[in-house]
Amino acid sequence: MKKLLASTILAAGLYALAGSAQAAECGEVSIAEMNWASAGVAAQVDKFILENGYGCTVTLVTGDTMPTFASMNEKAQPDMAPELWVNAVRTPLDAAIKEGRLIEAAKILSEGGVEGWWIPKFLADAHPDIKTVQDALKHPELFPAPEDSSKAAVHNCPSGWNCQVSTANLYKALNAEKDGFLLVDTGSAAGLDGSIANAFEKKTGWLGYYWAPTAILGKYEMTRLSFGVDHDKADWDACTAVPDCPNPKVNSYPVSDVYTVVTKSFADKASVAMDYVKARKWDNGTVNKVLAWMDQNQGTNEDGAKHFLAEFPDMWTQWVSPEVAEKVKAAL
Amino acid sequence: MASICSVLPALLCKFPAIDESTIRLARKAVDDSFKGFVRSYGNAIDTVVQPLQWFLNYLESLFVSSPWVVILALMIAVVYFSSRNINVTIGTALSMIAIGLVGLWNDTMITLAMVTVCTLISILIGIPIGILMARSDRVQAFVNPILDVMQTMPSFVYLIPVVMIFGIGKVPGLIAVVIYAVPPMIRLTNLGIRLVDKEVLEAADAFGSSTWQKLKNVQMPLALPTIMAGINQTIMMSLAMVVVASMIGVGGLGKNVLQAIANQFFTVGFLNGFALVGIAIIFDRTSQAFGKRLQKHSEVIHG
Repeated sequence: MKKLLASTILAAGLYALAGSAQAAECGEVSIAEMNWASAGVAAQVDKFILENGYGCTVTLVTGDTMPTFASMNEKAQPDMAPELWVNAVRTPLDAAIKEGRLIEAAKILSEGGVEGWWIPKFLADAHPDIKTVQDALKHPELFPAPEDSSKAAVHNCPSGWNCQVSTANLYKALNAEKDGFLLVDTGSAAGLDGSIANAFEKKTGWLGYYWAPTAILGKYEMTRLSFGVDHDKADWDACTAVPDCPNPKVNSYPVSDVYTVVTKSFADKASVAMDYVKARKWDNGTVNKVLAWMDQNQGTNEDGAKHFLAEFPDMWTQWVSPEVAEKVKAAL
Repeated sequence: MASICSVLPALLCKFPAIDESTIRLARKAVDDSFKGFVRSYGNAIDTVVQPLQWFLNYLESLFVSSPWVVILALMIAVVYFSSRNINVTIGTALSMIAIGLVGLWNDTMITLAMVTVCTLISILIGIPIGILMARSDRVQAFVNPILDVMQTMPSFVYLIPVVMIFGIGKVPGLIAVVIYAVPPMIRLTNLGIRLVDKEVLEAADAFGSSTWQKLKNVQMPLALPTIMAGINQTIMMSLAMVVVASMIGVGGLGKNVLQAIANQFFTVGFLNGFALVGIAIIFDRTSQAFGKRLQKHSEVIHG
């Protein structure tokens, strides 16, 4: 109860008046809680550890890759993005790091983010001949388009995301139109997730862009298809990731770098916590486990964070000093 | 603050909420039964809405694939003959030409097809329900809270189940837009009819009008200014909702707006936004001028 109240501004003021020694070590920190599950849990884990282990006052701000990054870059708000997929903002981020405005901390997803074209596992099991994207394109009848079942569909990634460009270029490179495939715009993450949920509940085929680690892949088993070629970085940067590239070639998605990014003001006011944000990283297997648990138990991001802290102490105690670990454990 | 709690019993300090695991079980049960429903009836529902899907697809392809000259001429003709107002007609032509010049013609056509259907459906649903509400206080008491929910419930709350049932595309988009855009039509139809003068109705009764005659010849004409305001609100809300409908796979201007938002492209956002505003004003001025012509006999001028 006391903790809950302490998080209110009023009580924070009272505590400040009382001269709480902890508040002097770490100020008020705002963390971006991104609108996808893995990043949401990461934000809640950070909140819990920073509040209980380091005595910070943490506010969570809802975010999304582009708006949050723009806000951090221009206004230094929020102080921290726990899970930023940096490929989408590589150029401005590098500039900001060079100028000392932003700091790249831990590589939070130690294995990186995995992107690709996926099909439901039940379909992959029923059609063992479908191993690559090219195999899938030979079977337009398995992947009916949402608005016109006489055509097949490749579900594109949400509007405005980087993957929209690369997926469209790969669709063009694979000449999927000739096989009767439309490139369907799903509009938003909710639309994309909804189209997958719809396909699984009705047991119809689905082919499209998705990425891991994600709650959907914890909930619905999907198989990632190979593109039959290795990732060619030079061509990817020169053409696949460029809008309206004249003749794209088939290429594999890169493994995405996913980092925690903090502002300079965070490093100043929460310097005690800098070692933690530089050390905190987890693997996709752990994240998928946590997300699957959340889905089975209808847990919120906060529940997921508490579940992680309770079940995986061997992992997170590596990130902090023993004294901090004791404080966090005491708060659980 | 916190010190009060040390003297008060815990029950008064911390709200006695239902045990979390119980709530969780209940949520799971509801979710699972919903998924079960989709599993058993999903395909049947698909078959039922298939004609609507065909119609929407057909209308969109008609708007997009017709030569722009034909569409523009048709729009100008419709606007002129319904409004008989040369200024509105010229404004329509100019704004459509401007939209075409900045390369948004196709997207505007997709949005126009969508908004036309949404607005018509909202009006067709809204006016009868509004009339029923005006006729009976009991119906009004029952429908009003439903309208409140429709207007305040965040659209994504019902979009997720709608997408699960119908998949993505124009049909769920249409449902989302209509849910949002129909309440003002219903409310204002109801209000307009209820505000018709009692004396006028008594006079109509004295001449022996039937209920239908009263509605058609007295109440509706006198309520027309308010109903026209309802139509205007419905149009505006449909257009505002088109962006949200794009989040579940409806193409058009909304999709560009979403892309612009995600990438912080101000100009693209504004251009598409202004195209939406242009369509809204064309729809509105035309329908208002048409409404005014319908009310020539009344001295109430809708401003």
